[in-house]
Amino acid sequence: MASKGPVEGPSIGFDFSNYARNQYLGQTMGGLPKATSTGTTIVGMKFGGGDSGEEEGIVLGADTRATAGSIVADKNCEKIHYLTPNMRCCGAGTAADTEFVTNLISSNLELHALSQGKPARVVTAMTMLKQYLFRYQGHVGAYLVLGGVDSTGAHLFAVQAHGSTDKLPYMTLGSGSLAAMAMFESSFKQNMKREEAIALVARAIRAGVFNDLGSGSNVDVAVITKAGTEMLRNYEMPNERGVKSRNYKFRRGTTAWTKEDVRNLLVSEEVAVTAGAGKLQDTTEASQGMEVDA
Amino acid sequence: MGSPMEYNGGSVVAMVGKDCVAIATDLRLGQQSIGVAYNFDKVVAVNDKLYYGLPGLATDVYSLREHLRFRVNMYRMKEEREITPKTFTHLVSSSLYEKRFGPWFIEPVVAGLPQPTELDPHPKPFISTMDTIGCITTPKDFAVAGTAADKLYGAAEGLWEPDLEPDDLFETISQTLLNAVDRDCLSGWGAIVHVITQDKVVTRRLRSRMD
Amino acid sequence: MAVQFDGGVVIGADSRTTTGAYIANRVTDKLTHIHDRIYCCRSGSAADTQAVADAVHQHCQVYTAVYGGPPPVATVAAMFEKLCYENKDQLTAGIIVAGWDEEGGGVFNIPVGGGIFQQPWAIGGSGSTYVYGYCDATYKEGWNEAETVEFVRNTLALAMSRDGSSGGTIRMCVITKDKVERHFVPGNKLPRFWEGKEVLAQAPKPSIAVA
Repeated sequence: MASKGPVEGPSIGFDFSNYARNQYLGQTMGGLPKATSTGTTIVGMKFGGGDSGEEEGIVLGADTRATAGSIVADKNCEKIHYLTPNMRCCGAGTAADTEFVTNLISSNLELHALSQGKPARVVTAMTMLKQYLFRYQGHVGAYLVLGGVDSTGAHLFAVQAHGSTDKLPYMTLGSGSLAAMAMFESSFKQNMKREEAIALVARAIRAGVFNDLGSGSNVDVAVITKAGTEMLRNYEMPNERGVKSRNYKFRRGTTAWTKEDVRNLLVSEEVAVTAGAGKLQDTTEASQGMEVDA
Repeated sequence: MGSPMEYNGGSVVAMVGKDCVAIATDLRLGQQSIGVAYNFDKVVAVNDKLYYGLPGLATDVYSLREHLRFRVNMYRMKEEREITPKTFTHLVSSSLYEKRFGPWFIEPVVAGLPQPTELDPHPKPFISTMDTIGCITTPKDFAVAGTAADKLYGAAEGLWEPDLEPDDLFETISQTLLNAVDRDCLSGWGAIVHVITQDKVVTRRLRSRMD
Repeated sequence: MAVQFDGGVVIGADSRTTTGAYIANRVTDKLTHIHDRIYCCRSGSAADTQAVADAVHQHCQVYTAVYGGPPPVATVAAMFEKLCYENKDQLTAGIIVAGWDEEGGGVFNIPVGGGIFQQPWAIGGSGSTYVYGYCDATYKEGWNEAETVEFVRNTLALAMSRDGSSGGTIRMCVITKDKVERHFVPGNKLPRFWEGKEVLAQAPKPSIAVA
């Protein structure tokens, strides 16, 4: 830990104290472990506006698979992160980084809204994200699709880990982005209706889920309009597990054990009765002892 | 050579049952292929109904365990209450992420039963796991980590089922762990299982292969 | 690229952003607003050039607040150069600054690593090497706005057809005392040059072999 420990007050930021050691360990032992990465399909698109007769909005979509190498670390994780009531952020790349970076920016946006007396704009979130990520030169591996609606309209941005941003009417990121982009490039139209947009986003995610090995499981969707955000968690579940036709319950006593230690969490207490300030109590009840929940 | 994650070996698994959770670990401590000790307990209690396991590089197991003991004690004193499994998970997670660019070589597994309260008289059993830099996953079924993680995934995926009673959960988690570590050179050499219910915690040392 | 003419400048760029072989954005706007009458064209790392442009954009706002008027193009170019040179070890940024000020149109080239070069025309980025000869052979002093726009459009189309990393559409911007006017040329309306039709028309039809 740095010079300040939690006793004197929390020190801020990353702690590099293990860095040199790990560099050595990586060299002598060969290879450092890889973090959980969201081999991912995430997408976002604008809808409404123009002559569609609907108000402008954003639809975000994500698959729900998290991977660690070739292992599926989580079959139903959440990749659409909360930023503010009218902003969400899909994350691809290093899972921990997307989680922590969106949490951090979410806090800062709340503070920003409080100090300015009005909700933060989407460009503000985008600028905060890009400046943070640029500072870490791509080492914080968060690749984000940022979408939201603010006083200036609906906005959609892609933010890369190195700190570059793009503004587009539709976009895809992650390992399944090519499959998803194929859907958008063939079917996207300006000013689509809300339901059409949700269907297209779900189709793009499905393209990732079924054609990209790094993506899988379910489809999450978020719809953001001026009114607020509608989170459609597990909007589609095209990969539900079949019911086991037989159960593999073991007969009790199958496992042999050598030592048992039972820690009783029920506190029993003896109430000893004394002839105190009041009158004498019934002695038969007192001698039984009482069980009281801990 | 292996990576620091495989240097000492060891595995942990946690499972959810009906109003109970279980967490189990093997007891091996090695130096690559050499077995050094068979009493290396990787699971520790935070309080009565909250346990966590730290498989990974043994030196970091000690460092992180002490760090967390300190943080939990500070929490207890400041908040004047016991930490919940969910809060503890976030505490571990941020402790790990603080070292994002020089991580602890540990993949923690947390298992606990939240204390019933007036607002939530029947809290759900809780398990969670993290990668080395603190990315949380909170599965509904089971969590695995360590050198036998691949094998544990396979075994648990087949053997686990919903709403197991404490006695059945003990059998399922024990068989999952035992059969997985028997196929892992770096894990084994005995095992310990904790089954946590609202009334009691049953801790058993399993009989296992010692090769 | 950017070209000066009497009374202003024309800047232009293709719209392709690539990550490796993948086109991450086919309708990028690389003409970046710096101040009311000053734009820049960015090439190199998108993250680096955006960060530098954002920083200079902020400097310009401060400049305007302090000095009560817009900064001259040369001053803005100097701000870019300072950032690019002092951080040359960490940046890959080739920037062309162009705009209008009291002295008329101005074009400044700031190549990767720093340095300021004022030129009547400047080209940069991966596609520029293919069209230096064309620019040298074609450019004439004393063009009007329309002729300059035509020159920029043709140069970019030639570069885009030869360079795989360039392509998409052409975005241009005419900056004079009175206006900042944008021009857009979609991918299917690009000026076309010799594409070999005369030769290919005489060649025998290629037979298609089926494996």
